[in-house]
Amino acid sequence: MASSEASRQWTLEPETEYRFELDPDASLAIKLVHGNAEVFGAELAANRPYLFGQECKAAIYTWQGCTIEMSCRRAQRFRSAYRRPNVTGHPSTEYVSEETPMASYANVHNALEKMRVRALRHLRGSPVPPSERVESTEPPRVLVVGPENSGKTTLCKILTNYVVRTGQGWSPLLVNLDPSEGGWAAPGAIGVTPVHTPLPTSTPASPLGTAATSAPTALSSNALLPLAYWYGHAETRRNPLLIERIIRNLGENVKDKYQAHPEAQVAGFIVDTPSSFAVGNNEDRQRLLKATIDAFKINVILVVGHEKLNVELQRAYGSSISVVKVPKSGGVVELDHLYRERIHKFQLHTYFYGQVIQPPPGITSASLGSETLSSIVLAPSSTILNFGDLSIYRIGAETMAPSSALPIGAARAVSETQAVAIDPAQPGSGLLNAVLAILAPPANGDDAERYDEEILDLPISGFVVVTKLDIPHRKMTILAPNQGSIVGRTAVIGSYEWQE
Amino acid sequence: MYAQPPPQPYGGPYSHGYYPQQPPPPPAYNPDPATFRRDYQNLLAELKVNSRPIIQNLSMLAQDFTRYVDIVAQCIEVHIRRVPPWMKLPAFYVLDAVSKNVFDPYARAFSAFVVPLFLETYGQVDQQTRSKMEEMLLTWRSGSPTGSQLFGAQAQAAIERGVWRTDGPSSSNPSQNQISRAQVLSELEYTLGQKERALQANPADTTSQNHISVLHQLRKLVEAGGVSQEELQQILAQLRTLMRSVVPAAVPPPAPTPQPVAPLPIAAPAPVAWPNPYPQPPPAPMYPTYDTVKTEPPTPVPGPDIVGLMAKIRGVVKTESGDIAVVDDATKQPESDLQREASRRYRDAILAQDIKLTTADITRKRPGITEFLYSRLTSKCKQCGLRFPGADDGPEMTAHLDMHFAQNRKANQNVGRGHSRSWFVGVEDWVQDVKGKGREGDRPVNAKAAAAAADAQREKELRAQYVVVPRGEEATPVSCPVCKEQFKSEFLDEDEEWVWRNAVYKDDRVYHATCQAGLLAQRLLRSDLAASLRSHSSTPEIPLRSGKSVAGSSDNAAPSSQRTSVSPPPDSKLLGTKRKVDDTDAAISPEADGTPRSKKLALESE
Repeated sequence: MASSEASRQWTLEPETEYRFELDPDASLAIKLVHGNAEVFGAELAANRPYLFGQECKAAIYTWQGCTIEMSCRRAQRFRSAYRRPNVTGHPSTEYVSEETPMASYANVHNALEKMRVRALRHLRGSPVPPSERVESTEPPRVLVVGPENSGKTTLCKILTNYVVRTGQGWSPLLVNLDPSEGGWAAPGAIGVTPVHTPLPTSTPASPLGTAATSAPTALSSNALLPLAYWYGHAETRRNPLLIERIIRNLGENVKDKYQAHPEAQVAGFIVDTPSSFAVGNNEDRQRLLKATIDAFKINVILVVGHEKLNVELQRAYGSSISVVKVPKSGGVVELDHLYRERIHKFQLHTYFYGQVIQPPPGITSASLGSETLSSIVLAPSSTILNFGDLSIYRIGAETMAPSSALPIGAARAVSETQAVAIDPAQPGSGLLNAVLAILAPPANGDDAERYDEEILDLPISGFVVVTKLDIPHRKMTILAPNQGSIVGRTAVIGSYEWQE
Repeated sequence: MYAQPPPQPYGGPYSHGYYPQQPPPPPAYNPDPATFRRDYQNLLAELKVNSRPIIQNLSMLAQDFTRYVDIVAQCIEVHIRRVPPWMKLPAFYVLDAVSKNVFDPYARAFSAFVVPLFLETYGQVDQQTRSKMEEMLLTWRSGSPTGSQLFGAQAQAAIERGVWRTDGPSSSNPSQNQISRAQVLSELEYTLGQKERALQANPADTTSQNHISVLHQLRKLVEAGGVSQEELQQILAQLRTLMRSVVPAAVPPPAPTPQPVAPLPIAAPAPVAWPNPYPQPPPAPMYPTYDTVKTEPPTPVPGPDIVGLMAKIRGVVKTESGDIAVVDDATKQPESDLQREASRRYRDAILAQDIKLTTADITRKRPGITEFLYSRLTSKCKQCGLRFPGADDGPEMTAHLDMHFAQNRKANQNVGRGHSRSWFVGVEDWVQDVKGKGREGDRPVNAKAAAAAADAQREKELRAQYVVVPRGEEATPVSCPVCKEQFKSEFLDEDEEWVWRNAVYKDDRVYHATCQAGLLAQRLLRSDLAASLRSHSSTPEIPLRSGKSVAGSSDNAAPSSQRTSVSPPPDSKLLGTKRKVDDTDAAISPEADGTPRSKKLALESE
């Protein structure tokens, strides 16, 4: 596929990056023609088009210089009605930047890599040179904090990708504590996954690689095996007690994994956090930070572009934890509320149906190979259930004022972590179009082992959406991700809804 | 509404080349040559995707108008040459179907141009299509009505040489035909597929069962790498012998239940009165066992002592934790030493980096990163951009490419089946999973894991077999002639019978299914390697297993070493809520994994 008139070639100097922002419905194909380049830490193969779409905002960085070829498919609605139909064009924003924080990020990576090497030597009982005896032998357990739109997730991705690119067989864990991120599950969930190969960037629908499907994928990062818990809301302030509890659960699971496989802990992990860890209500924020640091035994905190927070954390934790301020990239884009809502919709759609990005003209799907996740089409399944087939709960009351806002002496009718059963037969149950998290059946089926709040400690096996309620016949239609039987009989509603 | 019934593709699990012969249409359509040419061209032009009806139609037309053989051949050839790469494969399926269904005169007409056409196309299409073409090419080996090469031995050999030749130093030395692992794996997969389908059609076929288990072992060895040219060649020879033995035997008894899968893959039309238009050429040097076609008993397969050689290369050991460890021998040692040395140097270089985790250090220093991301990792995967230390054919890269190869194969096999999001794994599985181990059955990350998963599946199937205890003999002690363990009977609720688990009848004796499989593997491979495979991986922990069946627990079909799992098994029909709405996919999927139906039922009934 020789470069057609629709494509352009740009040459990037060493240590610069090409940044682009796509409109809805626009797509961009980028091909590495010459040199080496990476997208958020994941190296590009030469002469293979990489597709970006669905309002993707990303950057192609090069350490040593490169030539890239771009072809873009513009959104139809931006086309003048008077001109000949021409769907090629440029991304709505594109430029080359020479100022990137990549040098700092690489330094952070090298410093973390030193920690990994020392941890490995310690684990294997290798002799340590006298000059290094003072150094810690703990693997890096990194917490990344920063305000909104500071590039926390991108930093996590770059650091994770560099770890798996070293060729040392490291498989770090990537932890996502931002329920609005949508990680590998769906918005409203938080989770953790081991990463074996670089995480690709293609659309904001799958910011951290995608969870496993039955489709064969060339990169194992397109078939991640996450462990996820359902929080159910975008904002941590909605139910701080609940998110604190599931953060602690995640910490326990990670600990168990490391106990089962001591070598696995050497690669360490990187924890991405919501911006509410950095700014906002002080009391909740401090509590969540503390809970996270305890749960994951954090030993490195990276503060992205926030001087005040850096000083605050230095004071609070500097004695036992390395607190490091890292610069924020100038490329981060301010994202508004509407954008995030659209992305949540994309993410849920992608969870059930996969995603197809319309490639720009001249880019044949054949040349995409099996690599890209931009062309995975999934078939969900619509199923009719009796009301009795699923036990549906809401955690806490539907609307919940913060404890501090209650009249003095008043107690909550429903506590924040109380599971309230929802009767689908009641009008106004809020079930129609609601996203339900299906909780995995308890590992121990023994009823004697059950306890009241178990529902808070069960991870998710998947998501369904209620598409139809038939109250007279006590039946409901749900959209499930696949045709298999639903794994788990307990569902929890959150505040997310989705309609096709 | 969500799960549209998938369009009927031609092929799928390789199944074309045969459909019920239909009576010729009424002679209303009686075109002159020009009209016929135009109509045939138009119909071909409609063939943009793999559509079974159009392909059948084209094949039928060709059958009805054999007098226009030259026109059909011309149309197909011109069409394939002219259309863009993504349209070529369906047209090749026409060529394939026509020459198999109406061998005379079409195969001869096509053989005039099939070699360059195939190779030219192969060079233009993507990897997925290539795998499909390879699959088709393998069926051509025995595609003629007599079971010989569809387009003649020379054409077949020429195409295969073009497809699988390895570039490199050996290509300058044509006298020595290099065989690539890709080719061997490709043929292994194909043979496995045929065997599994034969087994599906005839679940009682223990020979196929055992062949399958041997083939799985072979695949494991080849995938693990380090098999020499000579051995690859011998494996190929073995495979071909094996395939020949399966083809004539491909007349199964009627399937016990309606089979959703297409009939037999290579169901040759009745081999009567078909003139063989090809003179038997002298065997090509590369294919010593290639040109003669005769029915042979499936076991023992005569052949060179492939296995003795292979035994020398590797021993496959099943460790206690249940994963497969490949023990390297002396030839492999230097490589892993190199790898260790490279890792050690990497660690030293990292430690030598003068960087501290402080705000000052990370903002002021120049990072020494390109060395670690690029210069130390010299080979780069052309498909995904991942880098590895060492040469392009180093062990890491080879393993990585094998992974891509396996993925591509899988992608091809799954075409048309539709994919879905999987359920997430349970806590237990997540905690235990390391580097892909314990992934849901069919998505292993590397060849070794794939082989291990396949082995576990085979073993599970073997253990699910049972023999009903003869009436009145419940108290008679019976032991397996191989391992000398006594069978423990248990009551099967479904059948209301006393049965022996993990048991098969063979020559009036009752064997452990796993022992019997091992025995046959040994016989088939006729060597000490098989013995080592059997003792290490096919029948481990026999006392433990028997102990378990004494307990009468209903889950003893699972390997005893398996940990309890809370993740859904791939086919979790019993878990949670049953599906209630239309199950269109069920029509194609249940048998697709090659598990014979009767055994599946046994598995499910537990």
